[in-house]
Amino acid sequence: MVEPRTEPLVVYVVDDDASIRDSLALMLGLGGYATRLFADAESFLAAFGPGWSGCVVADLRLPGMSGVELQGRVRSRGGAIPFVIITAHGDVPAARAAFRAQAVDFIEKPFDEAQLRSAIDTAFALERRRIDTAELRRAELKKLSRLTAREREVLDLAAKGLHAKEIAARLGISPRTVEVHRTRIMEKLGVRNIAELVRFAVAAER
Amino acid sequence: MKVLRYLRDAAVFAPCYLLLDWVSYIHPLGPFNITPWNPQPALAIAWMLLGGLAHAPAVWATIVLADGVIRHFPAGHGVTALTALVLAAGYAGIAWTLRTLLRPHPSLRTLRQLTTFVAVVAAGTALVAVGFVGVLYAAGALQAGAAPPGWLRFWVGDAVGVLVTAPLLLVAADSEQRTRLRALARRGETYFQIGLVAATLWLLFAGLSGDPSHHFYLLFLPLIWIAIRSGLAGAIIAIAMVQIGVVLGVHDRSLQALPIIELQALVAALTLTALYLGVMVEERERAAESLKQSLRLAAAGEMAGAIAHEVNQPLTALGNYGRSGQMLIEAGRSAELAGIIARMLAEAQRASEVVRRLRDLFRQGTTHLERVPVGELLAAVRRIGAQVQAGATVSLTVAADEGVPDVLVDRLQIELVLRNLVTNAVEAVAAHVPGRGEVAVTAKRHDAGHVRIEVRDTGPGIGAAGGERVFEPFVSGKPMGMGLGLAVSRAIAEANGGTLEARAAAHGEFHLVLPAQTHG
Repeated sequence: MVEPRTEPLVVYVVDDDASIRDSLALMLGLGGYATRLFADAESFLAAFGPGWSGCVVADLRLPGMSGVELQGRVRSRGGAIPFVIITAHGDVPAARAAFRAQAVDFIEKPFDEAQLRSAIDTAFALERRRIDTAELRRAELKKLSRLTAREREVLDLAAKGLHAKEIAARLGISPRTVEVHRTRIMEKLGVRNIAELVRFAVAAER
Repeated sequence: MKVLRYLRDAAVFAPCYLLLDWVSYIHPLGPFNITPWNPQPALAIAWMLLGGLAHAPAVWATIVLADGVIRHFPAGHGVTALTALVLAAGYAGIAWTLRTLLRPHPSLRTLRQLTTFVAVVAAGTALVAVGFVGVLYAAGALQAGAAPPGWLRFWVGDAVGVLVTAPLLLVAADSEQRTRLRALARRGETYFQIGLVAATLWLLFAGLSGDPSHHFYLLFLPLIWIAIRSGLAGAIIAIAMVQIGVVLGVHDRSLQALPIIELQALVAALTLTALYLGVMVEERERAAESLKQSLRLAAAGEMAGAIAHEVNQPLTALGNYGRSGQMLIEAGRSAELAGIIARMLAEAQRASEVVRRLRDLFRQGTTHLERVPVGELLAAVRRIGAQVQAGATVSLTVAADEGVPDVLVDRLQIELVLRNLVTNAVEAVAAHVPGRGEVAVTAKRHDAGHVRIEVRDTGPGIGAAGGERVFEPFVSGKPMGMGLGLAVSRAIAEANGGTLEARAAAHGEFHLVLPAQTHG
């Protein structure tokens, strides 16, 4: 059960050419995207916050810091927001660097709207999956925190594939008690059977 | 029509051949046409070389006619018909070989062509001489003892005659060479050179006492001068003058046959020297010209690349605005279109400005001199630096002294030069010091009328020996470099009325000097 997202996805445009910024904002805005504009990498970094989600469309050649470098800086600060690199120079080394830095796409100017839109949509899809996974994980952690210390021990041993008898012998309690703990755990975590419990436990150890 | 043209050509060829044969019928061996100077075979060879072997029968008929008119068939009709056959076939063979080897175009433009020409003529005329003298000997017209010296005289006469005269005809048939000849005729120096050759000839045959062949070396001096200054065309004219002078001089002095052979051998040596020098000089000139052309193309190519980048920005914006306009119409918000169209027009204006520059560039070296504040050039340097050092750990400092005047240059072209210098500097530093390197660009007042932009880096520099070499095309310090960047940059700097120099130092340093806008 994932709660609906409250923050909308935003296209962050970083380009030093004022006409490109203006025209992109207009076109993407009409296409239903929320946009924010930056003239260079520094001002983007200064404003960037951990809660930002969506997609960065950055020019490769920016004054001071390139779009690919900007992506590296965002990653080193823990930001996972996807990047689409655009450039007026279709040079191969730059494209290779961009993909090595895991840009979603590398688009040559002039591009058409469909091309950019498909890159942004790919980025958004990635972003949604990332956010969903993160929220799922947050929910799991929340559920785990409701377990008692003893229940946590039982869960950890169950994750290693031990049977009730073996767990009972390890913890010095009766198998019956182990089964009671296990039922309580399954209730708290909302899982229906032992297999799901083991899967949850393995995921929790990550 | 074909037959008519054939007859017309033959009607021009035959009298010329007869005239040359008659003029050159000097110092013969016996009553036969074995003379130390035979220019007429050159006419036959050139005609068949340029016009085709179909002329061979006409050549044969002309040779028979000449022998009859000038020498009255000294060995009888049958022998003349046979020797004429040997000659016509031999000259046709030489023409065919030259036609095959001088492909695609029978001219003397390269050293290879000249060497081919000389070798084929020397070997071909030797064979023809064997055939001619052999037929006379077999017919009993020539004593056994007279055959070897007869062969030598016939060979030297033919070989020198063809070597001197055929290039003249080939040059006359080559439009490029004709243009050169016309250019020479307009130069005062040419007449001085002609006078010098004439004076030397006079000295040889009238001024100095004794055997003219002893002083023949004097002729090499004006000939070498002419060949070096005026190329093949000049050399050929001078050689023809020497040949005519030698013939007239010998005629006047009534020398014996042997010294004439010696003189003709000297003429052959002089001819070869002058022809080779002339062709070499022209080949060098052509190579220099084509290099200049490719440099111009390379510069244009780099400029085109830079401009293509500039034009992509407005094109992208135009596309975005256009798509936005479509979406507004689809959404029924046409009232908002006016603002978008205004912005589209502005972008179209921006693109056409760039395209106009491009067109000017290809309109042969047009430079758009405009007043540019040095600060704007330095801003371009910062922009370029940001682009080229993407990823590299090189620090770039850009500074200008107080009161540096504006410069009068073509902004795009000078930005291209700066791009080249900054790129080179950043690459040199990045390759040299793995850690942190520095590139400094400083603008200073050079003198009253010039501004100097220094590009310094902490790379290895070019060393004292590399100083000027780095500006030579195709000399590159980079493994993948074409070696055109600096050569093109200097050409652009000079086209803008400036200079570009490399400083010999332990670090990299280039000085770009540009004309300042001194007033206004």
